[in-house]
Amino acid sequence: MKVKIKSWRGVAVWKWIANDDNCGICRNGFDGCCPDCKMPGDECPLVWGQCSHCFHIHCIMKWLNSQNVHQLCPMCRQEWKFKE
Amino acid sequence: MMETESCPSSATTAARKTPFSPNGMNNLKANSSQLSTSKPGAAKKLVIKNFEKPILPVDYLEKTWEKLREAVVAIQTSKPISTPLEQLYKAVENLCSHKNAAQLYSYLESLCEKHVKHNITQFTTGDMDSLTFLKLMDNCWQAHCRQMIMIRSIFLFLDRTYVLQNASILSIWDMGLEMFRNYIISNPQVQSKAIDGLLQLIERERGGEAVDRSLLKSLLRMLSDLQIYKEVFEGKFLQATEELYAAEGQRLMQEQEVPAYLAHVDKRLHEEWGRLMHYLDGSTKRPLIQCVEKQLISEHLCSILQKGLDQLLDENRINDLSLMYNLLSRVKEGLHELCTYFNQYIKKRGKVIVTNPEKDKTMVQELLDFKDQLDVVVTQCFQKNEKFVNSLKEAFEYFINQRPNKPAELIAKFVDSKLRAGNKEATEEELERLLDKIMVLFRFIHGKDVFEAFYKKDLAKRLLVGKSASVDAEKSMLSKLKQECGAGFTSKLEGMFKDMELSKELMLAFKQHLNNTMPNGKIDMSVNILTMGYWPTYQAMDVHLPQEMVEYQEVFKKFYLSKHSGRKLQWQPNLGHCLLKAYFSAGNKELQVSLFQTLVLLLFNDSDELSFEEIKHSTAIEESELKRTLQSLACGKARVIVKNPKGRDVNNGDRFIFNSEFKNQLFRIKINQIQMKETQEEQTTTQERVFQDRQYQIDAAIVRIMKTRKSLTHNLLLTELYDQLKFPVKPTDLKKRIESLIERDYLERDKDNTNQYHYVA
Repeated sequence: MKVKIKSWRGVAVWKWIANDDNCGICRNGFDGCCPDCKMPGDECPLVWGQCSHCFHIHCIMKWLNSQNVHQLCPMCRQEWKFKE
Repeated sequence: MMETESCPSSATTAARKTPFSPNGMNNLKANSSQLSTSKPGAAKKLVIKNFEKPILPVDYLEKTWEKLREAVVAIQTSKPISTPLEQLYKAVENLCSHKNAAQLYSYLESLCEKHVKHNITQFTTGDMDSLTFLKLMDNCWQAHCRQMIMIRSIFLFLDRTYVLQNASILSIWDMGLEMFRNYIISNPQVQSKAIDGLLQLIERERGGEAVDRSLLKSLLRMLSDLQIYKEVFEGKFLQATEELYAAEGQRLMQEQEVPAYLAHVDKRLHEEWGRLMHYLDGSTKRPLIQCVEKQLISEHLCSILQKGLDQLLDENRINDLSLMYNLLSRVKEGLHELCTYFNQYIKKRGKVIVTNPEKDKTMVQELLDFKDQLDVVVTQCFQKNEKFVNSLKEAFEYFINQRPNKPAELIAKFVDSKLRAGNKEATEEELERLLDKIMVLFRFIHGKDVFEAFYKKDLAKRLLVGKSASVDAEKSMLSKLKQECGAGFTSKLEGMFKDMELSKELMLAFKQHLNNTMPNGKIDMSVNILTMGYWPTYQAMDVHLPQEMVEYQEVFKKFYLSKHSGRKLQWQPNLGHCLLKAYFSAGNKELQVSLFQTLVLLLFNDSDELSFEEIKHSTAIEESELKRTLQSLACGKARVIVKNPKGRDVNNGDRFIFNSEFKNQLFRIKINQIQMKETQEEQTTTQERVFQDRQYQIDAAIVRIMKTRKSLTHNLLLTELYDQLKFPVKPTDLKKRIESLIERDYLERDKDNTNQYHYVA
């Protein structure tokens, strides 16, 4: 044995698991947050629909609240259901 | 004098008592009419009976005048007066009271005239030098004044009654002046001789000789009293002054250096001021000083500035610069010109500092010094004149942007060098002051995004490697930037600090977790978690880690994802660092190294000697990166491995042997990465990223403008763009972006007019 690690300071970058670079509603990158938030992080998470589209949670909630009758995914017009 | 002064009071009391005075009669009448008003109807007249008005002897006038004439002649010839002054005064009074005033005045006038006329002869005859002449003139004038005062005192009653009642008659004193003016000084020969003499005397004094200032003063007073100062003297005097200083200015500008010249001008102004104080009439002040200022300063304004300003500023001659400011502020356009030349100087010198690539290393420090120096000049020499303060700013802003991007980059690097740990040059306050000064430079930079990019990159390094000297200083710099450029500019930088804090908190929990899951673990692991958008983008590099480290990574990954769902982690091995325990025959050491260096060193646990290719294969580190890593371990200051063959550069086919004989005084050794090439690359990538960002900003701005305007001509669009964009761009670049947007169907060209664009909804 010639050398041994005593301590290790690693660096990692986190990203949302997403299938696109940008949110389909606000067009901001997923590495940023929705227009109403200041910092990306757990305060502004992503949500997935069962149709496999994902958005900022704040963006999709705003959209759904504005829809009176049917709540549809803004990308594919299928009925919006949160993916568990 | 006392004697004559007492006369009038006794004379007036006598006049009131004298019963035969015509005034006495009037008084009685006046009294009776006053009585009548108080007692209406009962008018009584008071009449003196048997009253006979006294009659003057027939020859009273002739006899009295003879006495007076004798006295006047005695005064004029400076002899004692035989008759007592009080009697003479009374005599004048009596003559006046008996309507002989006019006669008396004309007698006196002709007597004076005769005397003054006679005086001229001493000036016209004989040949004397001008000084003697002036002295003679002065004596004559002084005597004239003395005599006229005396005569006037005797004839005071005449002066106060007859002269006052007749507006056209000159007072005795004025009559004397009139005669002196008419018969002596108006004589062309005498006048020119006197004026020339005066001018000569002044010229000699200007030449440095000591002259009789009281003589000058007295004679110039004489001219003022005679009211011919302006007419016969001032014009000629100013002309002589102008000629003298015009010639002197020309000559000295040629012969002397500017500082000496300025000192001379200052001296001259002081001297002329002294002349005004001592003998010149006050009315000459403005024209004289203006004349000197014009001939010595205004006329040579440009030469003074051209020849002298740069040198004075280069040599930082505070006193001379103050003098220059004071002198130039006296003349019209002087400060304006000074300001223009000052501005040119800054631009010229500044451009040299900024545009010479060889000076890049010292550019920022030189700029700071240059700014300091000029600030001192403006505050101490130019009295903080707002015009100069603004001009200084304008000039800095101009020249610092003469070379695009580089100054911004170097300022960012300079800040990094000051904020980095191990920079022990400065105390906290000094550092704070320095940062303030740097912010002043930063303010002048147009492309602030370049600064941000480089600052961010360096800040990332400081934070991740733990090299930052002081959190306070970092925060203070951040708040300065925020103040200067707004929250948008610093939000990402703040995000980086936030990430560091979150990581720190997370590590507390992770340590606990690590103890539970890997109680036998030997590595003290900590991880900094970065949020994508805040940090500079790092190239992802996949490297082979030893099994042990992979296990640790997995433990952390599980731990992290359990806390934050919906995320994924990407490791950045190029940013990792380790502390190694190394066993050498001369003693154990601790090595502070990068993760790449660690991976290479760990390989030597299993074999003593490895080839470049073997190392590359086992670690999977990218080739150029690996070469630098090996170079730092085998060719740097602390050589823990030995390269065969020896040499500064690492090549394919080289072999490496663990240096078990390694010795070093220190226990803990930091082995630096080789930086040189890296910074070159980093620099270009950072710049490219800035330019990429700028393109997006241009695109966004074009779309924003067109969305509101719907339709615009090319030129109008460009003007609006230049208003919005905060970095320098060329029109051709803008044109390219517009074309790209047309291709992507954001805009379209007008079918008829190719210069017109429409927004496509």
